[in-house]
Amino acid sequence: MIFDIGHLILMTALVLAAFGIIAGYFGGQRRNTRLITSSFNAVYAVAVLVAISAGILWYGLFTDAFQLSYVWNHSERALPTFYKFSALWGGQAGSLLFWCLLLSGFSAVVAFANRHKHQVLMPYVNAVLLTTSLFFLILLVFATDPFKRVGFVPPDGQGLNPLLQNYWMIIHPVMLYLGYVGMAVPFAFAVGALLSKRLGNEWVRTVRRWTLIPWLFLSLGIIMGSQWAYMELGWGGYWAWDPVENASFLPWLTGTAFLHSIIIQEQRGILKVWNVVLIWLTYFLVILGTFTTRSGVLESVHSFARSDVGPYFLGFLIIIVFGFLWLLFDRLPLLRGEHQIDSYSSREAAFLANNWLFTGIAFATLWGTFFPMFSEILTGQRISVAAPFFNKVNGPLFLMLLLLMGVAPLLGWRHTSLSAFRKQFTIPTIIALITAALVFVFARSLYPMIGLAICAFVTATIVQEYVRGAMARRVTTGENIFIAITRLWSRNGRRYGGYIVHIGIVMIGVAIIGNEFYQQSVSVTLARGETVNLGHYELEYAGIETDRQPNLMEFSARLLVYDTDSGQVLDTVHPKRNIYDKTPDMPTSEVGLRMTPFEDVYVVLNGWDNSGSSATFTIYVNPLTMWMWVGGIMMAIGTLIAAWPHATRRRTESVRSLVYAPGD
Amino acid sequence: MTARIRFLFLPVLALLFLFGFAASAIAQDGASPASTVSPNDVKEVSKQLWCPLCSGVRLDACELKACEQMRDVIAVKLSEGDSDQEIKDYFVAQYGPQVLGEPPLEGFNWLAWILPVVVMIGGGVFLWFRARSMIGGRTQEATAGAATSSAASDSEDEYGRKLDEELKHYD
Repeated sequence: MIFDIGHLILMTALVLAAFGIIAGYFGGQRRNTRLITSSFNAVYAVAVLVAISAGILWYGLFTDAFQLSYVWNHSERALPTFYKFSALWGGQAGSLLFWCLLLSGFSAVVAFANRHKHQVLMPYVNAVLLTTSLFFLILLVFATDPFKRVGFVPPDGQGLNPLLQNYWMIIHPVMLYLGYVGMAVPFAFAVGALLSKRLGNEWVRTVRRWTLIPWLFLSLGIIMGSQWAYMELGWGGYWAWDPVENASFLPWLTGTAFLHSIIIQEQRGILKVWNVVLIWLTYFLVILGTFTTRSGVLESVHSFARSDVGPYFLGFLIIIVFGFLWLLFDRLPLLRGEHQIDSYSSREAAFLANNWLFTGIAFATLWGTFFPMFSEILTGQRISVAAPFFNKVNGPLFLMLLLLMGVAPLLGWRHTSLSAFRKQFTIPTIIALITAALVFVFARSLYPMIGLAICAFVTATIVQEYVRGAMARRVTTGENIFIAITRLWSRNGRRYGGYIVHIGIVMIGVAIIGNEFYQQSVSVTLARGETVNLGHYELEYAGIETDRQPNLMEFSARLLVYDTDSGQVLDTVHPKRNIYDKTPDMPTSEVGLRMTPFEDVYVVLNGWDNSGSSATFTIYVNPLTMWMWVGGIMMAIGTLIAAWPHATRRRTESVRSLVYAPGD
Repeated sequence: MTARIRFLFLPVLALLFLFGFAASAIAQDGASPASTVSPNDVKEVSKQLWCPLCSGVRLDACELKACEQMRDVIAVKLSEGDSDQEIKDYFVAQYGPQVLGEPPLEGFNWLAWILPVVVMIGGGVFLWFRARSMIGGRTQEATAGAATSSAASDSEDEYGRKLDEELKHYD
């Protein structure tokens, strides 16, 4: 009974969303206050209704309502409660409902926060956000109903996909989805600006923060996904250029390009068309990404579900492309730049290079992801495009991007003189050369040498920026160095928070270089008490334990890690295998890990004989990998500093473009 | 002065680009002769191959039965003295180019490699000319604006002054 209501509620939400779109559009056109108010109310109402229907599906999951096809297929009685909670996004219908829940929630927050602001833009923003909600509601009502009945009441469910039964899998999709749905907000503002013909800097200034927050969620979602892959998939890596990983990475690339290029529009009034195009691309890639993961159009380890949502997505993507292009061409005369570029050695030019690289990487990634499909359609030949392709094509582009990250912030707006150039770059260049020499002496290899030298260069430029900023404050205000730095954050968080994000990226770069080029590994079968050497470690197999858990059997091997030089026991690691009752043919793995800032000892349990008297392992030593997770945290901290609202900034915002334009 | 910087900047980027490709090409070879076949030798080869059934899973990490058998085949071939390349060729003949994890450099598949490069270069050239036409139209105004914005000043203290100005501005 209650589940029929769930379906009815979704239908009501669909109708309300459609009404809200019309109210928003005509309210905006005719400046009709009642219609505009209706569009706001529709946004709130849709959010409440979708939340209720998600609540009903959760209720179904928690009460083991196996008469629902979704619950039957994605849960079981013995499933631990928090996985019943996360089972909401473990399957297709539920994950689309969850998408819709987060989107309508995000929309309601945006509408509420701007209810007294941007009077001209907001009705259109509401309409665009509701259009996205409407699309997902159409899917939920017509294509993939989360409240579909089985027709009888099965005694128990089929269980949740074992790969999803991991704590990272509870939080990773939430972060990713928040990033995904959040990107609809800046897009809605862009379309609102086009529709209302208010194409100045108003929308750009508003969406900066509304882009930074989803960007942060998306970044964290990607990092957490990597962490999950590293801990669970057991091949010693964290990123496989799998189509689904690429799907999350593509909007990140264009979104990052957008975050940078709106700075130029704010400061110099150029690139207006390009910015609108970039945020549209980001939104398009979000929908495309959801489509590829949900339709199984590109097979991958993540594509758990296939269903008939494909044609709907295709239709919506076509609407996004043609609708937007039509609107853009119609408004093109209103999008003229106010200024021009003065010099190649200016920060504007560096931002152009940044956009060139980001969109280039995005193109190569998109092309590589879809190429197997084209190849199969056109030539009938099945090929795979995996890490070797992406590393070769994107690797050099990423290195250039990294270098640019060091160079760009040191260039002045409009023009950089040679003397300033020399002053800025002397110390970082020396540090880069020293690093290159050190790598050459201790770990000779070309790619890492270039990569680490660039990482050192970028770090040096950022430290130099901080030192100069803090010194300048000390001279004028006499503050001590710590207060000076916190003041830099609070006075100009965009710039100095941005540098922290850049440091995070450098750390991730260092981790990738360490893992990619200096990884050591060994595959070995050990009898109990036997040892194996790898790097400067000696590992001893000390036996295997079994542990019965509600819905699975856990096999946990124990290995002692010794330091070969001192003979001391450093640590004990426990690589595990879980065999699930419902899906015994899909065992999952959990690596045994000793993590240090210098390197990780990473052990995968491949198999064991019945008594556990011997077991087979793959053991890796992954240098510097921890910095990937530290870098992720730094990115989060930096983004929060950059996005933090400060009262002082608002006061000065209007004058800043008149005086010397500060770099951000 | 600007010209000098400009001419420094581009070749550095171009060199880096070439370097990257060269380095990844070098990293490709490096086959080791196998006298006695250990799991590690098998792993070294299987690392260079991709599971023909799952997409994006490396052969050394794939848990399918089929992949286990492929690894056994690698062990046999290694003991017979085949080189890495011979083994790779064998699997390509058996399962098609998808075991390579990248499009082979032949026929239609060239497009996979060429297009990103063409797009990057095309985009770069477009931006370059676009920027140049914009700069051309601005030279006069830039010199006029320089006096007020002090951006084109050659003074050694330029940066410090700008920063002061900027920070004062926030106080």
